[in-house]
Amino acid sequence: MERKRMKSESQSENAILLTKIKEFTRSLLVNLINGNSPIILIDRFRNHCTLPDSNCFCGSDLPFGKEVLTLCKETHVHRLDVMLRVLLIVQKLLQENKHSSKRDIYYMHPSVFLDQSVVDRAINDICVLMQCSRHNLNVVSAGNGLVMGWIRFVEGKKIFDCISSPNTSHPIPVYVEDIKDIISVAHYILVVEKESVFQRLANDQFCNANCCIVISGRGYPDIPTRRFLRLLVDSLHIPAYCLVDCDPYGFDILTTYRFGSMQMAYDTKHLRVPEIHWLGAFPSDSERYFVPKQCLLPLTAEDKRKIEAMLHRCYLQREVPQWRLELKMMLQKGVKFEIEALSVHTLSFLTESYIPSKIHCKVKI
Amino acid sequence: MEFSSAQKLCLHLISSAYQRCRLSDQICRLAVGLTRSSSSDPSLQISISDTGIGSSLEEFQDLKVSFTNVAENWDGMLSIKTTSISDSEIHNYQINLKESGSSRITRLPSDTKNGAIFSGSEVCLSSSFVNPDLLLADIHSLLEKLLILNNPNIAIQLVSEDYDVPESRYEKVFLANTSEQSPISASSLEKMQSGLKDYVLKHGNNLSSICNSCFTSWEELKVGSGVACCTVNRLHTEVVMEAVIVISNMSIQNTTCFREYGNKTEVLYFKDFSPCAMPQISMKALKSIDWKRYGLHLGGIVELDGIALLEWENLSTDTHIDIVLHSYLKQYPALDRSFFALNFSTVIPAPRKMSQLDRSLLKKAVKLSLDDLKDKHSGDFLSSRAVQIRNHAPDLAQTIAGLIMSSSDFDFQRECFSLLGLQSQDVGTEIMENSIKEKIVSVIEMNDKESDKSKEIAPFLFEEEDHIQELEVEFQESDYSPLDLDMDMF
Repeated sequence: MERKRMKSESQSENAILLTKIKEFTRSLLVNLINGNSPIILIDRFRNHCTLPDSNCFCGSDLPFGKEVLTLCKETHVHRLDVMLRVLLIVQKLLQENKHSSKRDIYYMHPSVFLDQSVVDRAINDICVLMQCSRHNLNVVSAGNGLVMGWIRFVEGKKIFDCISSPNTSHPIPVYVEDIKDIISVAHYILVVEKESVFQRLANDQFCNANCCIVISGRGYPDIPTRRFLRLLVDSLHIPAYCLVDCDPYGFDILTTYRFGSMQMAYDTKHLRVPEIHWLGAFPSDSERYFVPKQCLLPLTAEDKRKIEAMLHRCYLQREVPQWRLELKMMLQKGVKFEIEALSVHTLSFLTESYIPSKIHCKVKI
Repeated sequence: MEFSSAQKLCLHLISSAYQRCRLSDQICRLAVGLTRSSSSDPSLQISISDTGIGSSLEEFQDLKVSFTNVAENWDGMLSIKTTSISDSEIHNYQINLKESGSSRITRLPSDTKNGAIFSGSEVCLSSSFVNPDLLLADIHSLLEKLLILNNPNIAIQLVSEDYDVPESRYEKVFLANTSEQSPISASSLEKMQSGLKDYVLKHGNNLSSICNSCFTSWEELKVGSGVACCTVNRLHTEVVMEAVIVISNMSIQNTTCFREYGNKTEVLYFKDFSPCAMPQISMKALKSIDWKRYGLHLGGIVELDGIALLEWENLSTDTHIDIVLHSYLKQYPALDRSFFALNFSTVIPAPRKMSQLDRSLLKKAVKLSLDDLKDKHSGDFLSSRAVQIRNHAPDLAQTIAGLIMSSSDFDFQRECFSLLGLQSQDVGTEIMENSIKEKIVSVIEMNDKESDKSKEIAPFLFEEEDHIQELEVEFQESDYSPLDLDMDMF
């Protein structure tokens, strides 16, 4: 995937990163020449812990420890092998101003990498070592997110003119750092967990009646989607609301938008959106909106385990205690339901009643 | 000491003669003769003579025979001539091993030495029911093993002859290895080291010289040795365990040079300068050694007539491992009557503690010799873990070279070349890769050695400290590797 980068500032970012890579290679070489095992220190980050007392530093974005890679352990050496191979690919990408997806990288040495997650970890390791974000490495993921509504922006030379037909979905651009000239008249951003809900809103012409921007990460949001949302919140200064299923996965996706993921904890400050509000569906909504009993599914044992684990996350108690209460209620009620369950009475219930009333009456936490 | 066959008794008598030579500070000769006249008299005359220090009769006092086999219907008579350097005459005795009490020993008239100053002994017996060929083979095997101790002061001659069969005379001389310049003052370990090398090169000392079709030089062998010793304060003596390990490569195409135990390792065990069967506790000790740390995989230990055979897994078919272990007391008092009779038998630690001590000394000595091998040939004795790590070295080197060679910064490239000591950029990727690979491999090998040293502390701290204190002993170590963290422990 070749593309011309327009900004000279990204060129200089590349040059800085290339210098860091050369310094890293040189230090490896100097260690080996001196007969020393290279010691590679990789900071460890987490976006939360499960310590009972809230005196942790998880909110500080500081590393909480270091991993030490040496040539003394086979697992370390394999990890280093993978990391160096990825680093070599990254160096080429940066030098040639090209971009590549994680999947492309995986297919360069599938027999060594064995699994995509191994490549993902190597990319994370490199980001931590080079103190940069993944897009700085020119490694991108195939865009998965969707956007529609009252917004117009330019990415590179491509114009995303959503305003001209606000109910048409557009893919969220992959090169979020190249987005400029954002124009919007929207009053808020609505983030929906699922594509089905996004399409429901598009079908119901939701954006005609509501001056907003609708985004969907289609499940767990990818990095471009989260960075795009962050960019919109930062540049438009409008509220953002999140609508997810009332089940442990919906809640986890909600926390991913707000607090970032553990895997990408090192870069969480660029990815999280602390301003986001939970619009629904709350466990209490089932009674308030008369969800029929047959639409309430019992929590499975795995669901319960997941909820119990999430209840321990330090940030819930510290920053969103109300979210935690709702999550606790989900566990107490022992049932879950999907957003679609709200629409059993009328198909357009979401568009016409649920969302507007929640936003109007500020029923969000 | 009880013997179940005349063969075993003969072997013991030869061993004793060897000890008498060893304790002499002179150059000595040990001669074993097996003679008969098959037509007139079927009995075999066995004579064992040596020019070592004279014999005390005590060493014969404990000897007993318990032949159950009717075919070995031997009269039990030994005739002994012996004289020490200070004696003016040669003492003659006759001992009937089948009897007990004072009637056992008959003193015969002495012979005069006519003022000559010499020492020596001769022990003779005759037996009509010993198979001369089997006995010859057994003696042969014993003398081949004794050569491993490689005592340059002792020359051994073996003669077998049937006077009635022309050209039946067989004669073989067993001499210590002199092809390696080992000074007379060399330690017993150094002697044993070159003795075992010789043993291997001569296919178990079967040949009189190095097997040229299998080996071209001494340097081919990988040799490691180690000593562990322990001073037992109460006994004013030192228990020593010496170990030598030789690794040889021999093409399997040489079918003529076959090995008796194939790829298995016969552990040659010496106790107080005599070859002997390996005690069970020592076998257990061998089994408990962490061979994997040296890239060796011990499959199991088979015991065959007192011979311990180690079976290896993943050993390449042309590789052979030879191990010799020698356990002895430094001031060995076997022939010093007063010490043996008064001190040793009364103060000697309980056998259980002694065997525990043997066990820990054996483990230590074998480990030190493996460490020695690893120090000298690091690449060949990497732990299984390090071998796995080393397998990544080519890939790591290729990627690091790739990072350098694919860099668009030529100054950086030049800097890396000069760091690696490579002259010009024309040398190419392959040379750079190889150079980096060598560096990585040497770091991995060094890490492996260092991890061994640091791991050594644990077993001594918790496993073996207790009984060492019980025995009031001081642990000392002498070995050829200068750096050993254990030394700081005691």
